[in-house]
Amino acid sequence: MRAEPIHKISRKGLTVWRLYGVLQTLLLLVIAVLVCYGTYYFGWPSFIYFIAVAVVILSAVLSAYLFPKIRWERWRYEVRENEIEVQHGLFVVKRTLIPMVRVQHVDTTQGPILKRYGLGNISISTAATVHTIPALVMEEADGLRARISELARVAEDDV
Amino acid sequence: MSKEINRLHPVSAIITSAKALKSMIIPVAIIIVTNGFNFSFNFHSEHFFQTVLLFGVWGVAALLSLVSGIVKWRTFVYWFEDGELRVKYGLFVKKKRYIPFERIQSLNYNEGILHRLLGLVKVQVETAGSKDGKPEVELTAIRKAAADVIELEMHRAKNQVIEQTADERSLPIEEEVSIPTIYHMSIRDLLVLATTSGGIGVVLSGLAAAVSQFSDIIPYETVFHELADFVKIGVFLIALIVMLILIVAWGVSVVITLINYYDYTVRIEDEKLIITKGLLEKKRITLPLNRIQAIRIVENPLRQWFGFATVVVESAGGNGEDGKDKKITLFPLIQKRDCLQTLEQLFPEMNWRPEFIRTPKRARSFFYRIDFIWLIPIIGACSYFIYPYGLLSLLLIPIMILLGIWQHKTAGYKIDRKQLTMQYRVFSRITIFMEKKRIQSIESTQTYFQRRKNVMSIKATVMSGMTGMTGNVPSLEQQDAESILYWYEH
Repeated sequence: MRAEPIHKISRKGLTVWRLYGVLQTLLLLVIAVLVCYGTYYFGWPSFIYFIAVAVVILSAVLSAYLFPKIRWERWRYEVRENEIEVQHGLFVVKRTLIPMVRVQHVDTTQGPILKRYGLGNISISTAATVHTIPALVMEEADGLRARISELARVAEDDV
Repeated sequence: MSKEINRLHPVSAIITSAKALKSMIIPVAIIIVTNGFNFSFNFHSEHFFQTVLLFGVWGVAALLSLVSGIVKWRTFVYWFEDGELRVKYGLFVKKKRYIPFERIQSLNYNEGILHRLLGLVKVQVETAGSKDGKPEVELTAIRKAAADVIELEMHRAKNQVIEQTADERSLPIEEEVSIPTIYHMSIRDLLVLATTSGGIGVVLSGLAAAVSQFSDIIPYETVFHELADFVKIGVFLIALIVMLILIVAWGVSVVITLINYYDYTVRIEDEKLIITKGLLEKKRITLPLNRIQAIRIVENPLRQWFGFATVVVESAGGNGEDGKDKKITLFPLIQKRDCLQTLEQLFPEMNWRPEFIRTPKRARSFFYRIDFIWLIPIIGACSYFIYPYGLLSLLLIPIMILLGIWQHKTAGYKIDRKQLTMQYRVFSRITIFMEKKRIQSIESTQTYFQRRKNVMSIKATVMSGMTGMTGNVPSLEQQDAESILYWYEH
């Protein structure tokens, strides 16, 4: 068995993902309320109520609780001298290897919610693919970006 | 280095504006048709203003495109300097673009009918940076002699580099020797290509689409009544008609293939592949060998049966014809044996006959199990809604299982020093040969069920066009998959 990459993403990342889940559930709740109102008003079949309620509850359980938990547990990354290794996935465990010599550029991005928590995403671009490590502590992300661009500069190879 | 400033041929002004006009024809045609041809230049007619507005707007647009075409031609200049192709254009905003010769991914010469009449050629230069599928530089129309100068300059720049590094005397410019042809398509090959390609399907669906377009015009009821009589006359006639349609579709497909692939020749010159093709519109693609990212051999089941294959070259540049699709077909149709031999000559350092390490037997069910997720609802729906005949959809199950078993048999990989070869089947068998240094990233994926069985899928991506091309071998032995990751790390 291949060893897992060593670093996990920030614990605050889990909170942010939960927050996203809550927001999504709230959005669904609004839609569900509208649909229920429509059902009441136009006299649509009553099983629609059950579907609406089920969708909201499922969303609350899955996207606000379970999925963030699994994703956070699974997310791992490691930046080594010659390559970057990333592991993620919900149902399917995906592990990606990106050699340093293939890295074209590195970006960090930060949305309003991430900013509140002092987190940032880091995107690593090769000539063909983009790989994102989400929800890193911002200083860590900046440090990583500097480190990757430093390591990537050493080697030059053709596309 | 010549610093001579070159311009495009004046015809390019017309071509540029004609292109702009062409894109306007369809909207105008739609407006005209939807208006029901109610146009009139009679001042008293109620449609007068509509007509004036439409033709006025259209006229102004046409004039503008003509002016912009002329402006583009007048301002566009290109020259060669410091081993670069340099281009400058623009009236108010001047744009300059410098492309080092060694960065050129592919060089395409296209001769449309107009070009051929005037002895001109359209040149497209592509680099790895090509965005939105457009070539980096497009010289709309230049004289053939001028186009040859570009190649000469590229050649000279390359030799100069050699001169500097190896400190040799300037190499004499290669005399015009006959360049070895490595592949040529005969008419027979073209016929086989047309017959075994999906082209027939495309033509058939095109026919169907055309028929459905005219469905308003076709008097279905009359046709239906006549058809009823027709059925009485006999099944034989219907069969005949079907045959006829198939033959027509085949004929059209052959003609299209002939026009596109006529005189398809691949030559190799100076470490560059040169592909020429076309009957009416001649095309020529120049592709430096060291720019090739990966090579893919595709065998659809029919062709695999007859021992034929298609060879596709993944390149960061492109062929400039179909936008985002950056693959270049190297051999549209070739005998598998010849193909391997030719490839061996072209790239002697690669192993073209690897012995694949296949997927383990216990992985077999993974190849069709996933299909049941979408299969069962479909079968359920079919059986329920179109009851007696819908049950026929149950036949999909053995078909999918057989396909899965076939895919399982085909999936495999091989590592040879610096080379990874992947083989797998979607429907056609795909074999991808890639060098380690060309692989942009490798990903392993494993579902919960795969982990229980200790199998793992591997995906390797090389650069090809904008998004890259990914080879995917599903459900390998976990150790094997990890050995690929390990190989890639070191």
